[in-house]
Amino acid sequence: MNTRLNRNKWEPYLWLLPSMLLIAVFVVFPILIVFKLSFSYISQGGVIGGFIGFQNYVDAVKLPAFKTVMLNTMWWVISVVGLSTLLGFIIAMVLNQKFRGRKIARSILVFPWATSLVIQASVWNYIIKYEYGNLNNVLLNLGIIQQAINWRSSYQIEFIWECAVGIFVTVPFVTFCVLSGLQSIDGSLYEAATMDGAGFWGKLRHVTLPMVRPSLTVSTVLNIIYVFNSFPIVYTMTKGAPAHKTDTMITYLYMLSFYERKKGPATALSVIGFLILCVCAGVYMIGVMRKEDEQ
Amino acid sequence: MKKFLALLLALVMVVSLGSFGTVAYADDEITLDVIICQYGPNTNEWFLGKGMDGSNFVEKFEAANPGIKLNLDVVSWNDVYTEVDTRIANNNAPDILNIDVFANYANEGLLLPVKDYCPDDLFADFFPSFIDQSIIDDTCWAVPDLASARALFYNVDILNEVGVEVPTTWAELQDVSQAIIDYYDGEIYPWGIDMTTDEGQAAFAYYTWGNGGGFVDANGDWAVNSPENVEAINFAISLVNDGYTNPNPATQTRYDLQDMFAAGKLAMVIAPNQLPTYVADKGGEINMATAGIPANEGKTGSSVGVMDRVMAFKDESAPDQEARNEAIGKFLEFFYRPENYVGWVSMEGFLPAVNSAVEALVEADPSFGAWLDVLGSCQFYPAAKAEWAQVRQGVTTVEQEALIGGDIQAGLDALQAEVAG
Repeated sequence: MNTRLNRNKWEPYLWLLPSMLLIAVFVVFPILIVFKLSFSYISQGGVIGGFIGFQNYVDAVKLPAFKTVMLNTMWWVISVVGLSTLLGFIIAMVLNQKFRGRKIARSILVFPWATSLVIQASVWNYIIKYEYGNLNNVLLNLGIIQQAINWRSSYQIEFIWECAVGIFVTVPFVTFCVLSGLQSIDGSLYEAATMDGAGFWGKLRHVTLPMVRPSLTVSTVLNIIYVFNSFPIVYTMTKGAPAHKTDTMITYLYMLSFYERKKGPATALSVIGFLILCVCAGVYMIGVMRKEDEQ
Repeated sequence: MKKFLALLLALVMVVSLGSFGTVAYADDEITLDVIICQYGPNTNEWFLGKGMDGSNFVEKFEAANPGIKLNLDVVSWNDVYTEVDTRIANNNAPDILNIDVFANYANEGLLLPVKDYCPDDLFADFFPSFIDQSIIDDTCWAVPDLASARALFYNVDILNEVGVEVPTTWAELQDVSQAIIDYYDGEIYPWGIDMTTDEGQAAFAYYTWGNGGGFVDANGDWAVNSPENVEAINFAISLVNDGYTNPNPATQTRYDLQDMFAAGKLAMVIAPNQLPTYVADKGGEINMATAGIPANEGKTGSSVGVMDRVMAFKDESAPDQEARNEAIGKFLEFFYRPENYVGWVSMEGFLPAVNSAVEALVEADPSFGAWLDVLGSCQFYPAAKAEWAQVRQGVTTVEQEALIGGDIQAGLDALQAEVAG
């Protein structure tokens, strides 16, 4: 009996061991290495030197593009996560209704999510191309426009396109998270709300939103992390051009490391990004959990 | 039983975590890690597939050199810097590397001098002007593997239709561009400009070299903020602002421009010698000709040469350094043999780096002769200077800033201060 109890104690850890080892080797260890590297001198060729304190961090913050890139990253995360959450929620509400072709609509929604981001970004590049882009071709053929439009006429517009593609590929994930939450809501709750005289907005506020909050929390936290760390869309569409005006932190630190060969500041930036992400995701999680506890 | 099997599986996973990455080699065999850059769709086939008379370079080399194995990777240009830097950081640099830059590696003591492994006969076969581009402090650190030369390509039909001659000066370029705009009502771009992250340094070279400026001064010291350079970049930006060029030079790459040229949408573009092959592959039938890159009035234009290199890294852990150097030499000797090298160079339409290949290449394609003459008068990027990577990226950033109204003089001054100290 004792042996059995002991075995029950350590057996779960044994099952967890392979995953824990994988996480330790492929997640924790690299993070620790990056922290160590951020305090080390790294040559242009990639040779790692000695400890130099916070010099890499000072150099990173002094970079001319640092402020632009930080602001871009903030707008990138807020717009992509915020708007894709809003749109995903609305689409999930629609897809939760019973209508003909609902299954097909749900399947189509998976496509943007299931396609690689590089392909998505490349396809959008072709769509909005000035010279032979599909968008101009369609609009010209329909007679809606008489002359091709330069859809990428300024870097601000280029950045908006990047955000739009980011939203396009993120919406399906939010939709499916919310949809799973919506489907778990007991119909009797809506019936009770109707009996109490609640209209559409009342039911949305007092039944739907509280019930899907756990799903929304998961999708928002994961999206903050994914979108912040997203590399392919920005890199494929503009490579941060012109002059880092459309870079986010992740693409910028890549350019810094492998194009400008300033590997020290690039490593420091990646640590800064990691810490920002931890704080943002942590604050959001704590806030949501506290609200749930209060309720 | 199920639990036992599951436990066994877990143990296998754990053990496998610690055991991958260890590869055993026979004692009497030397294995060279080689990284080759992917120049086009045929590179992989030629080195590893069936693109070399039904066989490939690795198979043929190993058959001809028993006791030497090649662990050869073909890596795309997009990934090669990441791959090499990561390997260096992990003390796992390749034995042989094909890439464009070398100065950082040489200055950090990572490379072997060429004389340590390259046979004398082969070294004497390289074009001396190419070898000069890889010398730092009287030591040659890399050998050229191929080159390309850039010149002005123009659509003969468009220029004839408009009734203008190909421009040779900046003023003529502006006049011809305006004439094309007027004639085609803006439907055809007169002039192609690529100031993207990958090619901004080329744009800098085209205009500054055509104005008596450049990356370095007569002593070879950095001089990126010279008045000639500022004037040249101002001129290039004015072409964009006057509507003579493709509309988005910061994001429209050389390949976008070549596509436009192949489609007859662009009248003139500075491009490498492979452009006719590229246009033909795209199904374009453009009546094209080449000319010198226009220069400012009273200045001489210069062709731009681009060269890639092969270099060997040190490996202190190799048990027999002499045998390793000899194996690297054999690799080079086999690669540059005319029967191999001619196929390699002509496959992607590049220009050769050794004299022994010239005759066979000119025989196969007489147009090579003219390009070899151009190559002889080319200027190359100052890639032997340690700060080249920063300068390359820095001038591109200044150009891109200028495209959105930035101050060219201030940008170049800041870059000069950063690289020249």
